[in-house]
Amino acid sequence: MSFVNPNTKMKIEPVSKHVWEIPVTEKKGMNVPGRIFATENLMRGIDEGVFEQLTNVACMPGIVKYAMAMPDAHWGYAFPVGGVAAFDTEEGVISPGAVGYDICCGMRLISTNLSYKEVKPKIKELVNELFEKVPAGVGVKGKISLQRKEVLEVMHEGANWCYEKGYAWKEDIERIEGKGKIEGADSEKVSERAIGRTMNQLGTLGSGNHYLEIQVIHASEIFNSEIANKFGVFDDEQVMVMVHCGSRGTGHQIASDYLQKFMDAMKKYNITVKDKELACTPINSDEGKDYYAAMACAANNAFANRQVITHNIRKAFEKIFNKSAENMEMNLIYDVAHNIAKIEKHQVNGKAKKLLVVRKGSTRSFGPGHEELAQVFRKTGQPVIVGGSMETGSYVCVGTEKAMDETFGSTMHGSGRTMSRTKAKELVKGEQLQKDMEKRGIYVKSASYSGLAEEAGMAYKDISEVVRTMDEIGISKKVFSLKPVGNVKG
Amino acid sequence: MEKRFEFLPDVAIADIAFRARGADIGELFENCALALTDVMADPKKISLKEKKKFSVEGTTQEELLFNFLGELVYIKDVDNLIFGKFKVGVSEQKLEAECSGSSLGEIGRANLRNDVKAITMHMFSVKKIAKGYEATVVVDI
Repeated sequence: MSFVNPNTKMKIEPVSKHVWEIPVTEKKGMNVPGRIFATENLMRGIDEGVFEQLTNVACMPGIVKYAMAMPDAHWGYAFPVGGVAAFDTEEGVISPGAVGYDICCGMRLISTNLSYKEVKPKIKELVNELFEKVPAGVGVKGKISLQRKEVLEVMHEGANWCYEKGYAWKEDIERIEGKGKIEGADSEKVSERAIGRTMNQLGTLGSGNHYLEIQVIHASEIFNSEIANKFGVFDDEQVMVMVHCGSRGTGHQIASDYLQKFMDAMKKYNITVKDKELACTPINSDEGKDYYAAMACAANNAFANRQVITHNIRKAFEKIFNKSAENMEMNLIYDVAHNIAKIEKHQVNGKAKKLLVVRKGSTRSFGPGHEELAQVFRKTGQPVIVGGSMETGSYVCVGTEKAMDETFGSTMHGSGRTMSRTKAKELVKGEQLQKDMEKRGIYVKSASYSGLAEEAGMAYKDISEVVRTMDEIGISKKVFSLKPVGNVKG
Repeated sequence: MEKRFEFLPDVAIADIAFRARGADIGELFENCALALTDVMADPKKISLKEKKKFSVEGTTQEELLFNFLGELVYIKDVDNLIFGKFKVGVSEQKLEAECSGSSLGEIGRANLRNDVKAITMHMFSVKKIAKGYEATVVVDI
């Protein structure tokens, strides 16, 4: 047993406040140490899978500085969820399993000028309308069906495709990470199966932990009013809409296709990994370049997916409140990915280096002045949207200069699970949970009761402590929190 | 009779892990498919009206199982079918499956559970045990 965690025998050394390190001596083959960002309390609760997986990632070729786990980290299927790693683009590797199946899964926050007082009497009507307009659950089809040619356009253009088709406002685009498009997408590198899975899924939520939530901001929970104001927060009890979803079947298929290719290709490059799911090839190999081009297609599809969902959210609000979305100032605050690999420039040992940064359940957290940020965020830093459980609430933070130094500009993405889906389902019954939540002022409509039970708040870490960890280290600073009042759960 | 499959409550906590057993390799694959169905829908609500036959290839038993389960996830998305009964024949490098089930519409939204994204290679294994075969699978939710 480690002195700070009963789930591992690994040596864990404190580095500074809320920062811990697993030395390279703890597992044969580690190229860099593991770093964990967590309060002592969170550290004690981290599951055994995180330590195993983090040290497996630390063994990957070309990894730079550290394999990192954010305070929301938990056991994933190769990389820990809440994991960050950067790879030298000359010597490093790229791994489809490390990025994961839900390529470019992310968060989106939309403001309104409505007060909770206006929304409360219509909350059920609103949630029911959203449930109709934004399909959720197993195998659902979107309201738009795409031709093959249009699928390819979406894969290359991302959110811009939505603007051209009338599903986006012009101002939306600059408020999406990378303007809603990753360069280098090439649909020639995408299988027909992945194209087939995209045709009917644009504008759908999916299931698992994906959701669409109506939230309220309370003045007492605004931690930095100047930045909150710049992000679009003006009033006490202001209503916002948060969306969590990704690239749906497109990303799932692309990841599956390339995982298989990489398991074979890896032999050619004489690479071994600690977990088959981490199968990888050099970033500069043909296979590596092909995967990056296909991954970019899925990422662009995810940005477009969240944009079409936004369009349908605006339509639902217009119907229920009988006002235009413009009149309700339903502006996009930000859209940020938290499952992605991106080529970025970072300082390593005082030198600027081009790196492949993998954020697996981790949010980009770029500080003020960063050249990749849209003008509107150049002075504040980038909004970081942290989705909590449907019972407890969420946060918006802002990226910092320190994140650039410490975590390749990355921070947590959510609260992080503490309990498996299987266990949560044994302890909680979905129907009862729905009733209990309604009594507490949260109206939830779910595609599935068992899925609802799996997402119970008790299955998650305390989001306030997770967010506080990174705030106190200075990696992402708290701006405001949001409380749920209505939820469409996938 | 020994349980066809069991879910593993303390593994890969954001996803779903299961372990299945079978007296022979065909039965093992069928039981893995039943476990996958159980993740996606209430099996009691699946009629066996819709039939689908397909085959997959693979150079190892693991690869065959991985491709077989991956195909079922794909069929759920593209053909909108989930199956409650499987007949699987496994030869050296090929698997042939006859599946009976229902459309998602017929199963009904209230009886659907998790939209499985993919089959993962994390902890994925097929092994010979004293009474036949055993597989461990983690599916991404």
